[in-house]
Parts: sequence; C-alpha cells; structure tokens
Amino acid sequence: MSEVLKPQFTGARVTRLEDARLLRGQARYVDDFEYPGTLEVAFLRSNRAAARIQSVDVTEALAVPGVKAVWTFADCPITLPDRPFQVGQPVLARDEVRFVGEPVAAVIADSRYRAEDAVEKIRVQYEPLPAVVDSRAALADQPRRVHEHRPNRFLHKTHVTDGFNEAFQSAPHHLELTFRWNRQTGVTMETRGCLALPDPVSGRLTVYAGHQSPHGLRGMLARLLKLPEHQVRVVVPEVGGGFGIKAMFYPEYVVVAEAARRLGRPVKWIGDRMESLLADAHARDAIHEVAVAYDDEGRILAVRDHVIGDTGAYAFPGFPGAVGEANWATEMLTGPYKIPHVSIEIECVFSNKAPLGPYRGVGGPIGAQVQEAIVDAVARALGKDPVEVRRANLIGPEDFPYHTPTGKVYDPGSYGESLERALALVDYERFRKDQEQWRAQGRYVGLGLCVFVEPSAMAESEAGSIPYEAVTLRMEPSGVVTAAVGTGPTGQGHETTFAQLIADQLGIDVKDVVVLHGDTDSAPFGGGTGGSRSGTIGGGAAIRAGQALRRKLTQLAAHLLEAAEEDIRLEAGKAFVAGVPARSITIRDLARTAYTDVARLPEGMQPGLEVVARYQPPGAATYSNGTHLAVVEVDVETGFVKVLDYVVVNDCGVLVNPMIVEGQIHGGVAQGIGSALLEELRYDENGQLTTTSLMDYLLPTAEDVPRMRVEHIQTPSASEGGIKGMGEGSLIAAPGAIAAAVSDALAPFGVFVTELPIRPQQIVAWVQAAKTEAQAG
Amino acid sequence: MSETTQEVSPVETREGTVEITLKVNGKSHRIAVEPRMLLSDVLRHELGLTGTHVGCEQGVCGACTVLVEGEPQRSCLMFAVQAEGREITTVEGLTPEAGLSPLQAAFERHHALQCGFCTPGMIVTCEALLRSGRPVTEETVREAISGNVCRCTGYQFIVDAVLDAAKEGAR
Repeated sequence: MSEVLKPQFTGARVTRLEDARLLRGQARYVDDFEYPGTLEVAFLRSNRAAARIQSVDVTEALAVPGVKAVWTFADCPITLPDRPFQVGQPVLARDEVRFVGEPVAAVIADSRYRAEDAVEKIRVQYEPLPAVVDSRAALADQPRRVHEHRPNRFLHKTHVTDGFNEAFQSAPHHLELTFRWNRQTGVTMETRGCLALPDPVSGRLTVYAGHQSPHGLRGMLARLLKLPEHQVRVVVPEVGGGFGIKAMFYPEYVVVAEAARRLGRPVKWIGDRMESLLADAHARDAIHEVAVAYDDEGRILAVRDHVIGDTGAYAFPGFPGAVGEANWATEMLTGPYKIPHVSIEIECVFSNKAPLGPYRGVGGPIGAQVQEAIVDAVARALGKDPVEVRRANLIGPEDFPYHTPTGKVYDPGSYGESLERALALVDYERFRKDQEQWRAQGRYVGLGLCVFVEPSAMAESEAGSIPYEAVTLRMEPSGVVTAAVGTGPTGQGHETTFAQLIADQLGIDVKDVVVLHGDTDSAPFGGGTGGSRSGTIGGGAAIRAGQALRRKLTQLAAHLLEAAEEDIRLEAGKAFVAGVPARSITIRDLARTAYTDVARLPEGMQPGLEVVARYQPPGAATYSNGTHLAVVEVDVETGFVKVLDYVVVNDCGVLVNPMIVEGQIHGGVAQGIGSALLEELRYDENGQLTTTSLMDYLLPTAEDVPRMRVEHIQTPSASEGGIKGMGEGSLIAAPGAIAAAVSDALAPFGVFVTELPIRPQQIVAWVQAAKTEAQAG
Repeated sequence: MSETTQEVSPVETREGTVEITLKVNGKSHRIAVEPRMLLSDVLRHELGLTGTHVGCEQGVCGACTVLVEGEPQRSCLMFAVQAEGREITTVEGLTPEAGLSPLQAAFERHHALQCGFCTPGMIVTCEALLRSGRPVTEETVREAISGNVCRCTGYQFIVDAVLDAAKEGAR
C-alpha cells in the first residue's frame, strides 16, 4: 500500500452510492428516456435456421398506420466487419438467413405496437436449406457449408508440450472422458436496446445503449456509419446486467442509428425477451474429449484435450465466442494443479445457430469443470478420496510464480489453504461418515469441490484490447471530487469502489467523490468492463489519479502551512502537519484557494485541481483463486437436485469492498447453479430454438439457490493496491462443484456427470439403468 | 375495495382508443389508451412511472410487479383497461418523498441489489409480504420472491434485507 496513513474506506463494507436512485425507482435505463417524436423499431427475424430469401414483400407493412419505413438489407446495406474469417454479418439478412432470430427486416413506426403490427404484414418467401446443427457433422461440412465460400471449420490449432507423448505413454494409468456443455446465455434482466438521437445542427449522433464498453461501441458505430469518432456520442445510462452479452456489438445498433440519421428523428429499439433468447450472445456449446495419464498416487502426469466448439452462424466482431470459450478452457485446463504436460487441439465450426459470444467466465466454467472432473475420475478409479488426490496435485506456496504448461504465469495465491478452509467449514471427515449413513437410509447426498484459478485484468478481454484504464479527477472549488472513468459498470458498484479508493488517497469522505461513467463526452477513453478487469485496472487508475491529486494538495498545504511536504498528512477532510494536528487547513479551503485565491499558490503552481492518470498493471494477468464446496441431495425418483450447503473460500487479493465482493460471489454461484442444473438453449434437429421464453429457459430462483457461506483470504497482487479481479470466479467454479457433488451423490450407481446442464430425466435414467444392470448381474 | 370507487365503463374515444381512469399511487389519471396496451407500458410510457421495469413480458421474471388492490401482480400480464378503477401502487408509491422506506434502507444496508433492474419488483413484492401480517422467515421470504428473478445477487442479501426490515418493523 501507499503511504496513506489509515485507509478509512478501502476494505470497508461501504454501502453503495448507487443504491438510493435504484431503490427509489428513479434510476434511468435506456427505455426510460423519452424524447418527443421518438420512432420505435421492431425487427422481423428469421423463423428458419437456414434458407435462401427469395423475396421480401413489404407493401402491406408500409400501409400500416404510423409506419415510417420498412427496411431490408437493400435499404441499409451495412455488414459487420470480420477480417479473420470473412463471414461478416449483414445487419439485415442478405439473400440468405443463417439462424433463427437473425434480423431480416426492420419496421420503423411511431410506436412499438404499430411496428409489431407491421412486422406481421411482411411477407418473406424462403427456400429452405438443410440446417447445420451438429458440430461434429459440421466439421466435415455436413450436411453443408453454413457459408458457401468457406469450410465450416474456421479455426484449428494445437499446443503440445515437449515430452508429452513420452509422459503420456509411460504413465501407469489412463482414463478417457468426453464432456459436453450445452448452450447457455447470460440473460440480463434488462434486455438489450438502444436509442439514437440525431442533431440536425451539428450532424452529431447521440446513442444511448446498455453497453459494457462505451468507447468500444462508439468506435464501431463511427466506423460503420462512416462518421468521424467525435461525431458520435455514446451514453451508457443505468444498465440492467451485462455478463458479457452487452460487451458485444450487434446489428440492431447499426440499424437504429442509421434510421435516426436518415429519418432525422429519435429512434429507439428495446428488445423483448424472445429476441434476447434468440439473438443475444449465446455461450458454452463445446465438446471436450479428454484423456488423462496418472500414477498410483493419483498424480496427474499428462492431459490431452480435443475441443470442438460451435460458434453459430457468425463471429461477433473481435470476439468469436467458440474461440474465446475454447482458448480460456484449455489455457486454464490445469487449473490449480501441477500437471506438467498437455496436448491440446481446438477446432471451431460455424453452424446454423445464433452467434456465440461471451458469458461471464467465458471458457472458465468448462475448463474448471473438466479439470475437477479429471481429478475426481482419477480418485474414483484409484479408490482414493478426491481430497487426497487434490492435495497430491495442488500447486503449493513454494511454486510461485508458477509456469503452467499452457504458458501462463500464476502470481501467488492460496490454492491449498482455500481448500483446507473450505473443508473445515463443513467438517469434511464428519460429512463422509454422515454420507455413508444417509446412503444406508436411501438418501443420496454428495459433496463436490472446485478449486479454481481465475485469470483477471488481462490485456485483452471481450471488452476490448486495451491493457490500461484511465481516470480523470477534478476537485471542485467546493472540495467535492468528480471522477470520470472509462469502465462500463452493469451493477458492479464502480461508483462506490472507485470512490473508496480515491477518498482514501485524498483524506476525504467517500460521499464527496462522485464517479461519472458511460458518457464518451466526459469519460476518458477506456476499454470498458469485461474479463474482470475493472477492479484491478480501473481501480489502479483511480489510485494513481488520487495519488497525483494528493501530491498537488500536499504541495499546496505545505506551502500554506509553512511545513515540509513530507510532513503533510491528508485525513478526515483536513491537511495537517504530522504530529501537530492544530496546524491544519481543511481540504475544502485548499480547493477554494486553488481556484479562487490563486495569489496564495506557491510559485509555478497552476491554478485548479485536475489530473488524469492511466494505469496498466505490471503483469499480463493476475490470478484470483479459491475453493467452492457444494453439498447436494439427489432425489433418485424424481431426478431433482437440491443444494443443501454451499461454501466459498475466495482469494481476490486486497479487498476494496468485501460486501460488493460477496455480492459478486453470491450472484456467480446462483448462475453456476443455473448452469449446472437448469439453463439450456435447446435447438431441435431443424435448428429451431425451442427455449424462447423464461418458462423454457429456466433461471435459478430464490428457492433454487441456498444460503452460502463466504470467507476471504487476501493474497495481494503486484498491481496497484494489491487488487485482483474477481467478477467471474464464482461462475467459473460453481458448475464444476455442483456437477461433482451430483457425481458424488450418485456414486453408488456408478454415475459420473460429464454433460451440463444435468437434467432430472437424465438422473432418473442413469439410476434406472444402474438398477437394471444390478438386477441383471 | 373502497366504496367510493366510481365505476367508469370504458368509453370509445379517439380512433382505436378508449378513455379510462387509472388510480395510481393515490392519484387518478384520465387517459386514452388502446385496449391492447399493457398496464406496464401505460405506467411507464403514458404516466412516466418508469420505476416499474419490464423484463420479459412473459409473466415470468416479476420485474414489472405492482400492487393491485394491495396484492402483487405482474403489470405485463394485465391490460391497462383491466386495471380501470382499481388501486395500483408502483415502486414510486412505496417511496417516501425524501430518503428511503425502511425496506429500501434495509436493501441498501444489506447490498440486496446490484444492477437494480429487478429491484423495484422485489421491493413491491417484499413490501406486500411485510404488510400481509404473515410470518416473515427465511422460507416465507424465499417463497414470496420465488416469482421475482434476480440475475445478480443470488438472493441471499435480499432475504437478509427483508428479514432485517421485518425485525425493525416489529420493534
């Protein structure tokens, strides 16, 4: 830490500065902005997975009262950029549709109701084509190519460590497992939407959108609309959840912005839930064919992983989801374990499904589940306790910095300690004894572990590829500080955490720091929020900016108090001389002086109190870690899984606000329970999405999520403030822990879970099959 | 139901619209709406009460929950014309002039919200539970909010907040 005497706010459970407006119902999300004369858009979306468009007849639609325009690709001929794979998505389908939900036409009318009326009047003639829905078949271009001009497989890469073959072949034991993780999606409670306001005087376009990267959105809009960047202003107001989905750039944004420009009116589009499930970034959808080599002690010597990832019909600009999923899952495949050798092969294909993008954790949840299942499978094969096998393989405190076989360098963490503390919290030995008794009574209770490593604050993430963040600070003459940041919070509480860090640098109250974000006119250029980068990189920038402003305040105070700069302390709203608290001046007075009594400034000091700081952490990433432990009970008659207990021991370095960190963990665990037991986007054999409502795509409710116990360990990073990112770790770890717990519960039936989510009918079938087999035997 | 509620049958007015009287947060509004307009849309876009959020329009997520005659209802599953003459309360109606209600303050203390989108629906649902006189326990709170989806918090701090608010109210 810096020389700040007593951090008053950093590390404290400060209640959020954001909350009052949100609780009072006064916060404003995109749809809450009303401008006179606003037109609304409704999209006609493809109801076919694959078809040639023979004709689109908009005559009747245009005749609907209130309709101003009906556009097809010919009216808005813009295609999203995609340099690497040459399959850029036209903002409205061009000649062919490639997934159910792809926008085909846009109606712009005086109300959403009327726009939807007109959508129903558009007549599209389709010539159906065979849909590509199976990723293995897609690899062989079966039944056809999704994009005629190129094979379905768009990415193939391998990484094999030197000596893999010898290590693998000479090992005494081997096992093979195939994992399948079905499609899921982030489901933000606020659907995507945007509102574009043209300014006929300046030619400037203002776009309101719920987005994780305000500057990223501005850059793409400017590029596609062929406007200079300064002519586009993006305003991200309150955002009702992001989870990766809202880091992407979508075709609808272009159509809405272009409509506003061309019609000279404000134009708004707010997606409905069906549109969200059809066309927000999907996630996961990967197969991992894994082979493991290990010794008698359960030490894992080598792992081979062949990944097949299905990215859907198009690649999001800058983020083809299947590649993100496969890269993260395989780069982190060895997790917290000392596995010396890996052989990785990744193949990614196009299919006639919605485009895959990021969802919290990206490939992390899959990688962590595979890594933990490997350990559990080895334990089961050797008849050992899964905890023993973990202890035999864990990276120890002496191993840092630890170089993984995939080229990552882990900074210090608390892998073993987090495991031991989690076990102690549930009294593991006792649990195993109880478990035996319960089994004898016909109750199937299981315990699952996930010891996770979470890469954070990487130079590149779905929110963009800049490795730094910026914070501008202005202390107003009143002494209140206005901070502007380039991050894109969607509920993580940046206004509070950044204020805590800044207030501690300046010795002022946290409520006297107002954090602005989201408006590209006031925010410094930033990468936005994603990849758990905001706390570490943005927080680091906040500290650096605070330090810079503190230096100036200190210099001024030293001059006015006639003391040496090194003797000046800033605390509780005052600057004073160390050891002589009576020799003091309020920070408010310093601020007023800096602006309005400039004759008293030291020679050469510029009036005013305004700084900008940019911060890039020293490492390529910093790694959070922890252990999740789930106890579940499985009803073998109904297949229903109930989570009885859940423990998290989390280490994300220095905690800025433990309350906010715990909130992040709770939410990630809930999403992990959904991922493991409830959530699945199901396509039928024709490529039709059959889960287009929240009655079909099941989200965890308050009755599905148990009470969680969370404990913290703090192993500081080398980044400013010792902070590590932690937004994704809980969703990375939870599905693996739940899956492992179900496997453990059903061990008497020989069940080992390899497919997520786990459906009740699968559990019933597995148990039935085991019983039938036992009878036959 | 109040005896003094004046029954006003919808009257056909402007092309395709009917005039209705909506009683929202104790105030009467005479407005012309299309019969197909959802109560949620009318509250938000006709009356400017944007505290009520729309999350799914499928009756599942609970973000649009308002009180109708004191009972939590999904305003996306109701046409505005069906709400004619009934007492509607939105989050704005449960919010004091200044500051926060005891329940809202408990939400703040316990970090029971993150993105805030489901929050007004949660407040409305939980306020109804607190006013119902039913016992407020971990189980009854979870049951009460089981129709309100929150994607951020994992519910635990919401449960804590409601339990705390109930304890305070009992004092």
